[in-house]
Amino acid sequence: MIPQLVTARWRRKDGRTGRLFLPVVPIVIVLSPLLVLAVIGGIIACLMFDMPPFRTLAGVGRLFWALPGARFDIEQGRTAVSVSIR
Amino acid sequence: MKRKPGTVNEQRRQILQMLADGKITADEAERLLTAVETVEEPDPAAPTRGKGRPKYLRLIVDANDEHSGETKVNIRVPLKLLRAGMRLAVFVPPQALERANQELVKQGVPIDLTEIKPNQLEDLVDALDDLTLDVDQTDTKVRIFCE
Repeated sequence: MIPQLVTARWRRKDGRTGRLFLPVVPIVIVLSPLLVLAVIGGIIACLMFDMPPFRTLAGVGRLFWALPGARFDIEQGRTAVSVSIR
Repeated sequence: MKRKPGTVNEQRRQILQMLADGKITADEAERLLTAVETVEEPDPAAPTRGKGRPKYLRLIVDANDEHSGETKVNIRVPLKLLRAGMRLAVFVPPQALERANQELVKQGVPIDLTEIKPNQLEDLVDALDDLTLDVDQTDTKVRIFCE
């Protein structure tokens, strides 16, 4: 399953908190023209560095597909950052 | 040893029947019922491997430093992500591996990355299922495990 939502939360030293919700699918759709360019650039880079382009792209896709469930919480003193991928 | 719930209920019924028939005393029936229930109840300390393979690698750090204060890190990485990363690492070009080897040697870690094969990486991630690492120091606690 591809990631659906990335949630980022943070707390600054002064105690102010923030939240950011990134719905992945709509963002991917909006940025799809740029993604096509990025894929073409990736294929060219793979050919330049002697890597199998389509297998590498498939590997990147698998990496993207495996992201849901990842969670990173880091808290130091008064500051904190939390990123969760669902 | 696993037993079907129906089997345990049947054993209980037989014990109660023997008690009703007067073949055993109340004390003996109690002991038998306790024995049956002990077999039935799962050991709470036993690992939960029966529920399936772990899905996540967890890293928990709890450190207390005088300079930077209390630091807490809680990271959960899907094992699928590690496997995907390992598969992607196979495509790293040899010249990049050579440079990485040189840097590792400079840092005093003489590991030849070109000798690591994809199936070894797969085995490494599979072996993480059984990993539990606890580091307990005065001000720092680190725990790495799969869940």
